[in-house]
Amino acid sequence: MSFELDDDMKAALVTFIQESVELLQELEDRLMILSGQDSSDDDIQAIFRCAHTIKGTAGLFGLDAIVRFTHIMENVLDRVRKHELDINPDLIGLLLKSGDHLRVLVDAASHGRETTSPEQLALGEYLLNQLKSYQNTLELPKTSANTQHKVETINTPQSASGNWLLFLQFNEHCLRDGMDPLAFIRYLTTLGDIVELSTFAHNMPDAEHMDPETNYLSFEIILSSNADKETIAAAFEFVREGSVIHIIPLEHRIPYYVELINSLSPEDAKLGELLIKCGVITQHELDQGLNTQSTDTTANKPIGEILVEQRVVQQPIVNAALTKQKDLKEQKARENRSIRIDAERLDKLIDLIGELVISTSVATLSAKQVRSVALHEAHAHVNSLVEAVRSSALQLRMVAIGTVFSRFQRVVYDISKELNKDIKLVINGAETEVDKSVVEKISDPLTHMVRNAMDHGIETAAVRLARGKPEQGTVKLNAYHSSGSIVIEVSDDGNGLDKDKILSTAINRGLIPPGTELTEQEIYALIFEPGFSTATQISNLSGRGVGMDVVKRNIHDLRGAIKINSEIGLGTTIEIHLPLTLAIINGFLTKVGDISYIIPLDRVIECLELPTNEQHDYMELRGEVLPFIRLREVFNNTGPISKRQNVIVVEHLGLKAGLVVDRLLGELQTVIKPLGELFSHVQGVNGSTILGSGEVALIIDVATLLAQQEKLMQASLTSALAHIN
Amino acid sequence: MSKTILIIDDSASIRQSTQSALQDAGYHVIEAIDGQDGLKQLNGQKIHLIISAVNMPQMDGITFMQEAKKRPLYQFTPVIMLTTESNQNLPPHYSSTNAKAWLTKPFRPAQMVAAVTKLIMP
Amino acid sequence: MDTYSLEGELTIFTAAQLKPELLNFLHSSTAPELNLSAVTECDTAGLQLLILLKREATLTGKSISFMMHSKAVIEVLELARLTSQFGDPIVLAHS
Repeated sequence: MSFELDDDMKAALVTFIQESVELLQELEDRLMILSGQDSSDDDIQAIFRCAHTIKGTAGLFGLDAIVRFTHIMENVLDRVRKHELDINPDLIGLLLKSGDHLRVLVDAASHGRETTSPEQLALGEYLLNQLKSYQNTLELPKTSANTQHKVETINTPQSASGNWLLFLQFNEHCLRDGMDPLAFIRYLTTLGDIVELSTFAHNMPDAEHMDPETNYLSFEIILSSNADKETIAAAFEFVREGSVIHIIPLEHRIPYYVELINSLSPEDAKLGELLIKCGVITQHELDQGLNTQSTDTTANKPIGEILVEQRVVQQPIVNAALTKQKDLKEQKARENRSIRIDAERLDKLIDLIGELVISTSVATLSAKQVRSVALHEAHAHVNSLVEAVRSSALQLRMVAIGTVFSRFQRVVYDISKELNKDIKLVINGAETEVDKSVVEKISDPLTHMVRNAMDHGIETAAVRLARGKPEQGTVKLNAYHSSGSIVIEVSDDGNGLDKDKILSTAINRGLIPPGTELTEQEIYALIFEPGFSTATQISNLSGRGVGMDVVKRNIHDLRGAIKINSEIGLGTTIEIHLPLTLAIINGFLTKVGDISYIIPLDRVIECLELPTNEQHDYMELRGEVLPFIRLREVFNNTGPISKRQNVIVVEHLGLKAGLVVDRLLGELQTVIKPLGELFSHVQGVNGSTILGSGEVALIIDVATLLAQQEKLMQASLTSALAHIN
Repeated sequence: MSKTILIIDDSASIRQSTQSALQDAGYHVIEAIDGQDGLKQLNGQKIHLIISAVNMPQMDGITFMQEAKKRPLYQFTPVIMLTTESNQNLPPHYSSTNAKAWLTKPFRPAQMVAAVTKLIMP
Repeated sequence: MDTYSLEGELTIFTAAQLKPELLNFLHSSTAPELNLSAVTECDTAGLQLLILLKREATLTGKSISFMMHSKAVIEVLELARLTSQFGDPIVLAHS
């Protein structure tokens, strides 16, 4: 066995060797004085100190063989020091030989070896046994008629410091194979101290049937050893086949292994690896356990359970390893999430990548002028890489919605105190990812919705009990991905929405004319209208002037949609459907002249063909006047006009208009590239994107166009009225 | 009296290094260059352990073992077989021998001594 | 008192031959005594025979004494921690 030390320790080891050589010389000198006539207690003290110092220092370097040896020497010398033991020439001789043996051990240590030749090992064991005989309080009996209890003292364990319990029942053929169980046990003494040993012969049949060449003995051993399990198990490698060999840490060593496991910080969090690492099981034992696991697939037992069943390791150690494993996994998960990047830097990166996409397209277009296949191929490759970079950059912005959700525990706690209602919050899907920009903007609307659910949704305790509901109300936040969007649900198990009440309130408030026929969803949607409140008792919270209309506006700004499900008396669920990222848009591609425009799909209601003779700035659509917004005019587009034009009906916040375009090219999903500063003043466009052809397309800002149109109409109406007056 | 080990290997360097390591450890070592030569050493003297290579001219280690087992004085003598990585996967008929201890070449002398010490102390 | 003196090996090599001899001796004697001074080697097979003799003696209401243990026997009895269980006085040879 060799041992490894770092450089500092190596330097210290050199000092230790020098020190020990000096101490051993002193030990020898003092022993020579003791053998003479005029010795004093000082000499014995000095000798004791030599052994003691060497023992203490050797421990620092993990020189266990020296520690083990000097420990016993120290014990014997301690007895001499206390005058419990008389010094005699035999003992002096033994101590001198012990000193010599220590020199060999120290010399071996100076060469980086911990153990010496088996011969020296045997000599060491011999000397140790001799020394141990002086350690006992009773002298060994020479001969005695009544020896029973006195002989027993030989077997009294020196200490209960054993740390391994070995159960050995070697296979019954081992003797004929030349494998002597006692030889293996003898070998164990080179690895440590056999503190206790019991020999069992209960497997031996009666005299007549006893086969003298068959092995019947089994042994239980408590071994005190610093060797790990692998090393101890290796002692039996030649006889393992067909034998029952259990090596388990002693009960009182369990805390030690539990601690050891806790102190480990391995890369690999596999249970077996953890147990091997702390030396409590061997690779072979693990392999056997895994083998059992894979052959017995029906049981489907965890490996830890199998190892305990196979008496390889105790449950508490497995438990510690399992806990550690869980910790490691969690730690890893935390680490995965813990790269913090300044959001601005990330935005800058995304921005730059957008520029890159455009520049690449421009370069590709230019390259097309050059008739070079190689250049085209190179550009195609660059393009695909840029595409990959862009999509992974967008991934960087994805964060778990849980960061928003978790704040609501406190919000719900505070509001329930305020409302004097017992309400709990249940969160699901916290790990659902969504673009960072969405997360930032969803927080306020969610707060309103949760407040509303608690205030107007959840009934008072008395009402709940009367309805046979649990006294505690529940508000749930849930998030999940659904076909390219993230759906966030806010639900409560309260009143549910009363359609009739909503309708009458809306009519009372002048939100809708009486007698209006509305669908269920349209009725529910009324609660998001400004100035709507169904609560009979205006509470503190809803009196703050922030209504559900703010929610609606925010969600629309996020290009999201709201859907409400409600059952009267049972509760309400409000679903918010949001795009996964604000940087990606589902659009409708259109063309005016030579220029492509993209209209966000979530604003599009329908597409119509423009009647060829329609010269007005409006058309009639199902009894309603639909004003036109001619994109050609808005953007001063002078490109060729197609004969057949189309109208795209768009809506935002109740305003409707028909966008007149030349051609409809269908839906597409595309990445929004913010406009450069040069274009920031252009109204009606809020971004651009690069099409597959390399062409730039403008993204229409429907909300702004509609607002402009409304203003224009109001203005012309005012001027018309003024004209009349 | 130190215990006697018979080492059988056609490689002189293996015999030499093994012998010197084992002698240092306190064993008495006798040598044979192959199975045939090994059998000659089974002449009635007490041998506590046999170390034998598997592949050898004249008589291989397995045949030697089977022959040795037929002789009462050596039928229970422990044997360490020296094998190379390539014949680590032992053919089935090897199990008919009583060779349970295998040591893979190349090995360091200390490994050899450790393996021997497990079976017999010097 | 009958004494049986074991000589040479008390090992796997001799166990098969010694077993009937030793059992015969035990059964034929009233106060059997086993002289172990000339035992040169002892292994597990040998130890098993010693255990068998002690057990058989107890079963047949006898007592067999082991005496003059040789070094080899002492070493094995100590290793197996059977010295006190066997209860025979052990004479330690002077070193």
